[in-house]
Amino acid sequence: MTKRFGGLVALNALNINVKEKSIHSIIGPNGAGKTTFFNCLTGFYRPEEGEVMFNGQSIVGLSPDRIVHKGISRTYQNIRLFPNLTALENVMVGYHVHLKSGFFGPILGLKKTKMEEEKARQIALDLLKYVNMEGREDTLAKNFPYGEQRRLEMARALASQPKLLLLDEPTAGMNPKETQDMMDFIQHMRGELGITIILIEHQMRVVMNISDIVTVFDYGKMIAEGLPEEIKNNKTVIEAYLGTGEAADSH
Amino acid sequence: MTKAQSLWNQGVKIGAIGGVSVLIISLVGMVESFGKRDIIAGVLPMGVAIALIISILAAYMAAKKTPISEKSIQFANAVVSGLVISGFLAVFVMIGRSFNIREMFVGASPVLYNILTGGVAGAGGIFLLLLTGVLCGAFAGILYMLRDLPRKLTVNALLTIFILGLLQELILPILKAWDIGMINYLAGLFYTLNGLTPVGAILSVVIFCVLYLLWNANQGAVKSKYAALPKEARKKSQIAALIVLAVILIVLPQFLGLFLSEVITIVGLYVLLGLGLNIVVGYAGLLDLGYVAFFAIGSYVVALLTSPQIFAFGLNFWQALPIAVICGILAGVMLGIPVLKMRGDYLAIATLGFGEIIRILVLSDFLRPWLGGAQGIGSIPNPNLFGFQMVKPQHIYYLLLAGIILVIFISLRLKKSKIGRAWMAMREDEDVAQAMGINLVATKLLAFATGAGFSALSGAIFASKIGSVYPHSFNVFISINVVCIVIIGGIGSLPGIVVGAAVLMGLPELLREFAEYRMFVYGVALVIVMLLRPEGLLPEARHKMEFHDETEAGAKTVA
Repeated sequence: MTKRFGGLVALNALNINVKEKSIHSIIGPNGAGKTTFFNCLTGFYRPEEGEVMFNGQSIVGLSPDRIVHKGISRTYQNIRLFPNLTALENVMVGYHVHLKSGFFGPILGLKKTKMEEEKARQIALDLLKYVNMEGREDTLAKNFPYGEQRRLEMARALASQPKLLLLDEPTAGMNPKETQDMMDFIQHMRGELGITIILIEHQMRVVMNISDIVTVFDYGKMIAEGLPEEIKNNKTVIEAYLGTGEAADSH
Repeated sequence: MTKAQSLWNQGVKIGAIGGVSVLIISLVGMVESFGKRDIIAGVLPMGVAIALIISILAAYMAAKKTPISEKSIQFANAVVSGLVISGFLAVFVMIGRSFNIREMFVGASPVLYNILTGGVAGAGGIFLLLLTGVLCGAFAGILYMLRDLPRKLTVNALLTIFILGLLQELILPILKAWDIGMINYLAGLFYTLNGLTPVGAILSVVIFCVLYLLWNANQGAVKSKYAALPKEARKKSQIAALIVLAVILIVLPQFLGLFLSEVITIVGLYVLLGLGLNIVVGYAGLLDLGYVAFFAIGSYVVALLTSPQIFAFGLNFWQALPIAVICGILAGVMLGIPVLKMRGDYLAIATLGFGEIIRILVLSDFLRPWLGGAQGIGSIPNPNLFGFQMVKPQHIYYLLLAGIILVIFISLRLKKSKIGRAWMAMREDEDVAQAMGINLVATKLLAFATGAGFSALSGAIFASKIGSVYPHSFNVFISINVVCIVIIGGIGSLPGIVVGAAVLMGLPELLREFAEYRMFVYGVALVIVMLLRPEGLLPEARHKMEFHDETEAGAKTVA
């Protein structure tokens, strides 16, 4: 696909294939177009040229709320929780696509609505437990420390029960232990829940350790793609990106 | 700045601000016109009370902001502040007595000078004024140095006197309505026709202090006992409290007399409006400044359907009511569609425009054959319930009460539902809400429609109560009033809105002098609320956490 903003070509004839149930990392210098790519996938931007095929269906041009229904969910580079809603409410909003109650259901206290609400609440609580935030469900989202906010955002993204999860720099700002926890968590999601994961990451340790495939962007184009080991030793990539002071060494 | 200068800096600066404030209030005429009403009859006119309160507050702030923590300096700063304030006023009076500044400042009348100088002429008056300033400052200084309990006791006791005196017109008739000898005697003891009696004031202070101290001593015990109760018992006590409240609400009109019933009715209409706007602004975060439009539509639909003046539909109120609400809902959708993509200020202006469009349409000559033009529509019959004509404001009160309970019920149910969460998510972050699967179009339209429906309900009741509708009743100030109620009462807080409506709509009726300065007072109130208590007078529990919680558990959030 190609995405332009006025004269700036953010994505230039990009062509990517993501395999189901894989962990596919996207790396590249800042400004390479990685988040723009995510925004095109989720319907926030519409690419000028190109196609997006998901599960055999074209989803290009769909609005973001329709795309969630197809089974794609994401987290954000700068955490975008709903700050004045509680943790529970944040996650329950994530489950929105599965709720069918309308306007009059809640008002009339219909049994169907009540049961649906209870189910949503239970699922949200379970998700909070899954991300180790049990018992904190009534705290306002903005009152959580950074690491917990990231996990909360993760829980919210999982609430829609997606088939494809887009994670935008999930380990940004984390210390080594938290990063390790996040890595385990991502692998668990793929393993246990069978979710396909596309990951934008800057921490090479993460990328090298958990990815099945790595794609490298630069200036809106893909400049390399392959197994982590191949990418690590790829000359073009090293020139463009690695060795710029990021945590370049993996073990 | 030398050390000596920096010591007095705050005192002088805050004193200047206080001085200018009192000056403005005097020049605007508030001190003079409020002077006719007494807090304590014959002793303390309301205008003077307000000036004193401002001075004491300013002096207190001066003491608080003194850079040095030494008690004597803080006290001195308060006194300096008080002196500066009265200095301003003294200069003002001296100028005013020598030159005629009345052409520039209409409020600068001899009556005002008299009030400021306590009626003493010449230099004596000026001295008295300055002395008052010093005493205010000293009082504030002492207050600042007191420990917590005595300070809170004093402040709250004085506040009690102020409020009791202010609300004399509300309390006295209620007491008199019982017509029991004992209560009549008490009423006479505490009140005259113009404020508290001195005896009443002293008694109030004493009784308040006793109650406050008792509560203070025992509140820990009471609270822990309450918390220790099993859930069953707690629920029972909550239900009991609700029942008591319900009984009071149902019985209230019997004690209120004609004038107060009118006041309560107006408050009720605005509570209904506030609750409706709460859904649009409070839940969904859509800033609607044209809320009066739906109020007008509700009123006019009822007018057109029930009044014989223009059309002869001949429906009664109960038949017209659902139609009015439906028309309101449709109008809400109509407003919502063009503004779907607008946010923030643009949305506010667009909705403001819609409000004006409706007003101009009903005022227009072009539509006069159908809508009555500038003369409006009259002869609207009162609601008729199984043969019982609802003529008196007391009857309308019950109608409003039913409406309010219905709207509260709907609001609460919606808040805890999928749509309520969708609204709140949209309010917090529209783009992310959409990314969660929320259909923004449907959600926004639903918010507008629901709010509009409630507004139309209020309008329908309004039309039937007044008996006629005039375009001039439906101006932008109604929208502004409702927005003020929601903000000052507490966005999203249902009890807050009730309190907000009572204070902002009820007080001007009770304190007639206020009516002239209404917008001024609202403006000041809005600014004060925004600065000191942005969550409103009676906020939702969570909102209090929102606005004051920056220092709590949270580390910095990423922007």
